[in-house]
Amino acid sequence: MTSKTQKARFVGLISGLLLVLASLIAITQQGIVLGQDFTGGYVTVIDLPKQKSHVEMQKKLAELGVQNARISLQNDGSWRVFQTPQSTDETHVKQWIEGLETQWQASVLDASYLGAQVGNELIEQGGLAGIFALISILIYLAFRFEWRLAVSASIALFHDVIVTLGLFAITQVEFDLTVLAALLAIIGYSLNDSIVIGDRVRELLFEEQWKTSPVGNIIDQAIKDSMSRTLITSLTTLTTVLAIWWLGGAGLNSFAMALCCGILIGTLSSLAISATLPQFLGLSFNNYLKEESEAAKQQLAEP
Amino acid sequence: MKDINSSTRPSTPRGTNARAKRFFTALIVFLLILCALPNVYPNKNLIQIQASSNEVLSLSLPELKSQLEGEGFKIKQIESHQEGYLVELKNRTLTAEARAYMADSYSKLNVKVVSASTMPQWLEATGLKPIKLGLDLDGGVLFVLRVDTEQAEQNKLQSLADEANSLRIKNRYRNLSIPQVINGEQVEIIAKAQGQNELVAITATLRDLYPQFASTTHKQGSLTKVNFRFAEEKKAEFDKQLMTQALSTLRSRIEELGITEAVTQRQGTNYIRIELPGVQDPEQAKRIIGATAKLSFHALQEVGGQKLKDKSGALVSIDPVAIFGGDEIESATGGRDEYGKPLVQLFLSSQGGEKINRFSRNNVGKPMATVFSEYYADTKGEIKRNTEVISVATIQQVLNTQFSITNMQSMEHAQELALLLRAGSLDAPITIVKEQTIGPSLGEKNIESGFKALALGLSLTLLFMAVWYRKLGAVAITSLLVNLVCLIGLMSLLPGVVLTLPGIAGLVLTIGMAVDTNVIIFERVRELRRKGIGMATALKQGYQQAMSSIIDANLTTMITALILLGIGYGPVKGFAITLALGIVTSIFAGVVVSGMLSESLYSKSRKGVK
Repeated sequence: MTSKTQKARFVGLISGLLLVLASLIAITQQGIVLGQDFTGGYVTVIDLPKQKSHVEMQKKLAELGVQNARISLQNDGSWRVFQTPQSTDETHVKQWIEGLETQWQASVLDASYLGAQVGNELIEQGGLAGIFALISILIYLAFRFEWRLAVSASIALFHDVIVTLGLFAITQVEFDLTVLAALLAIIGYSLNDSIVIGDRVRELLFEEQWKTSPVGNIIDQAIKDSMSRTLITSLTTLTTVLAIWWLGGAGLNSFAMALCCGILIGTLSSLAISATLPQFLGLSFNNYLKEESEAAKQQLAEP
Repeated sequence: MKDINSSTRPSTPRGTNARAKRFFTALIVFLLILCALPNVYPNKNLIQIQASSNEVLSLSLPELKSQLEGEGFKIKQIESHQEGYLVELKNRTLTAEARAYMADSYSKLNVKVVSASTMPQWLEATGLKPIKLGLDLDGGVLFVLRVDTEQAEQNKLQSLADEANSLRIKNRYRNLSIPQVINGEQVEIIAKAQGQNELVAITATLRDLYPQFASTTHKQGSLTKVNFRFAEEKKAEFDKQLMTQALSTLRSRIEELGITEAVTQRQGTNYIRIELPGVQDPEQAKRIIGATAKLSFHALQEVGGQKLKDKSGALVSIDPVAIFGGDEIESATGGRDEYGKPLVQLFLSSQGGEKINRFSRNNVGKPMATVFSEYYADTKGEIKRNTEVISVATIQQVLNTQFSITNMQSMEHAQELALLLRAGSLDAPITIVKEQTIGPSLGEKNIESGFKALALGLSLTLLFMAVWYRKLGAVAITSLLVNLVCLIGLMSLLPGVVLTLPGIAGLVLTIGMAVDTNVIIFERVRELRRKGIGMATALKQGYQQAMSSIIDANLTTMITALILLGIGYGPVKGFAITLALGIVTSIFAGVVVSGMLSESLYSKSRKGVK
């Protein structure tokens, strides 16, 4: 007999896998828009005393000779113009900024230039850091958990990262260094959830009354036991992230978006993937019996 | 196997051990609160106006006041200070603009932006400082420079080849080939069979002059070849020297520009990060910081030698080995000669003085060339070297530690060259790879929005904890506040921690996640209570049982924070530092402090019931 919770978990597992598939398609088809941190280029943030529409802004900039720029209106009312290092040069950037300053009384809030070479180095470094983070966490998991739980937790983790990347591919929001930071924070957070539930599963497996129950029921019980914790922590973290998204300024928007998605997805995947998969991988009390028999004997010997 | 009922014995009365633990915890919290306190008194920015050296201040206080207010700068406070004035504006963000205005209007005044503390005396006496604000919160200019050590290595190689050639000509080594740089990695000299002795002699001299190079000799038929290349370990040392030189030169250039509180630090293997808070016009700073100008003095050489163009485009042939270079210049000032032509007056070190003295004594009546070289990036972004003879002058008399270079283009040129010579030279070309100007209003806006987000996130979280856990919620709220204050205290205390906008985001996120520690514990306690276990015991067991989950959870976040610290610089580093420190304080506050609080809360109430 499968309970309602179990059915929900299976549906969650399948939809999680579908989500990963959809994300992978989006990433390969649409691609992720890399920000200035990784491509190099010029970013200019401008404040206008009188607000203009996107079309007006685009027209004006074209008039001033700006081509192939990514122009966006940020939520604090300022305009952000991104130009790749290939499409323009320093003197030209200065020219159009001056033009906008005299014609529209614009004021420059932030002007930055990054060499393309530094961007390339950062891609390398960022990629390396991501891989390094994954490897060290996998090593930690393998050492900390029974392999079935460890494998499930890492699959959940990949799921969270890929779906978050998929969201960036679909929305075409720029992926910059702060998003990479958010992604690493998500890895930590996702694991956190999986570990707390995993710990409960292990605890219940050892308990006398649960020893003979099917593993699916044990997992259900573990989820039930830790549900309020999972919900409360996700809720408070999500609240603070939403506060950053709403009030934290334009510079943190994509960071908050990544974290928001990661926390939601991470919470769901800790229930639907990292807790459900071990059941299929054949988790049972006996797995622990062989490995931890020494430790178990010792514990039983204690008064 | 864990047995829940095994430790239901009543909690023992607090012994001296527990009392000592309480005392230390309270002490740590007290000290960190003290460290966090300076942040309540943010620094204010003042404009300092003084007469430059040897001048008398001709501006009176009312004059200064009316001048500034006439330009629309509203003054909050103005006072005389050390034969000068200190001005505080009502609008802090206009300080840099007002400074630039004053510096432009009075070239003889020394106008600087200084920051002053607003802390009460007793707090200032402790020497504690508020958290340093990053550029995105303070406004200013950021440069990241790439030091091209490879180019410098190439130059060293070329100079070895030039030196070898000049030795070959001077000593009439007829059996040696012209030394060549091969593949940009080694210098090769080939000797005919009868030139063995010449080869040995030249190799010995070159090895003395260029200790960074290793030489290998091998025979090819009747010919003998010597190859010079960088010794591996010496190369690393050479690169390190170049970086150290670049750092110290850039630091002194920034000092020359009158910018205080700049941050100049190495980033990665060959990048240098320079933050200039408060600077609003990057152009001058960029020209001075990015300049690679070098000056050297050479004898002329008729045969061989290096051919360089002078200003009129005529070729001048010079000895590639300098009589002395920029390193020997101790000080330099721009000025005018008796005909009003701009010149740069040089003051040499005693070593440099000796060199020029020896040379000029033997060469009175002969010409000497002043060579100026600098690097620039061409339109494709490749680094090119531009070397030019700025003057060829006849040595009229024996020269000493003090002499001047005449014939400068303009007074401005003379002054800038003097500045660069004072600050020291750069052997490796540098290029600006990142440049960012953050307006002061954006900085202010960022602080405001960052703290608004923090306030909202924190108050919602606290509210929720109070509603959900009631009495235990009070413990959670206290420990959260202790956590926040401790984190701010720790960030103020540790040197090198800079608060950036992503850092504030890290702070907000830490608050959200720190709740987790308390939630894990309190949910355990609730569960135990439901099983009918008494509050005091449930608390004790709850803390014990939750420990492994808490350590696991925080350890994984710590791993990611440390990895982020490793790659990130600038803003991301700020985020990683806050996250890592936040884990430490949240374990301290969430486990140690809240454990003690809940224990005392419930033991007192139990007594009250009895």
